[in-house]
Amino acid sequence: MTSTLFYIFSTITILSSFFVVFSSNPVHSVLFLIFSFFNVAIIFLLSNAEFLAMTLVIVYVGAVAVLFLFVVMMLNINEVLVKEGFLKYFPLGLLLMSVFLTELIVVFKDLEFFSSNNSGISISNLLNQGHENTKSLGLFLYTDFFIIFQISGYLLLVAMIGAIVLAHDNKLSLKSQNILKQKQVKKDDIIKLK
Amino acid sequence: MTSSNYLILSAIIFSIGFLGIFINRKNIISILMSIELMLLATNINFVGFSNTLDDLFGQIFALFVLVVAAAEAAIGLAILTIFFKKSGSISIDTINKLKG
Repeated sequence: MTSTLFYIFSTITILSSFFVVFSSNPVHSVLFLIFSFFNVAIIFLLSNAEFLAMTLVIVYVGAVAVLFLFVVMMLNINEVLVKEGFLKYFPLGLLLMSVFLTELIVVFKDLEFFSSNNSGISISNLLNQGHENTKSLGLFLYTDFFIIFQISGYLLLVAMIGAIVLAHDNKLSLKSQNILKQKQVKKDDIIKLK
Repeated sequence: MTSSNYLILSAIIFSIGFLGIFINRKNIISILMSIELMLLATNINFVGFSNTLDDLFGQIFALFVLVVAAAEAAIGLAILTIFFKKSGSISIDTINKLKG
């Protein structure tokens, strides 16, 4: 049952990823991107990673894809121009992709990995102790991986500040506060006694 | 599901993203979307191995990949908007103007 569902949803994911790449309208590609994120979230659910599945839906569909959609709608993109050079690069890209994919599939086809179970965090042990997925992630994320967790928080902060600094336009014709000028105002400049 | 299932699925999605970078030469937004697809493929790998090897490490690492992907999308799209404002196009051919 799980295996059948896995095959169904992975087929849908692959098809919608194809449409992301090939559709000529950028809005359609963003919508197909959202669709493939949803399908991957379902695959995560089938792989017993519930928290990650929900995070994928919230972060990717709720934030990243909406950001993409905003930008696509903000920029006035010419559809005809966008697909220019498609035929020029398509054969080379297809060749490289098929070589890459064939190599990977030949290697991966009969590959089977087994857990050595000496240093990992066993999920089934955690489940036996009564910790479900979200709780066990929290147990390790806030203790063993605390430094990395903090660093990723700083990374998001830097990305936020960077995006604001990049997108902020100083030359807008808005009336903004000039603090230096404001501080240098003398009493005589404003109040005049006659 | 065996680990080779996950590996082949993620290899296919990764190579679709790879192809997308090649063929969308006039549209940087599509290239960014292809990069998102490639990061998604790596996430599938991490979660798949986490499932088959019964190890939580993979899911924790996939969480950090998610963080990096979100930061990358935000910065990339911010650069793209100011680039479009300056040059009026989002083509790869004109991106060498970023050199200043």
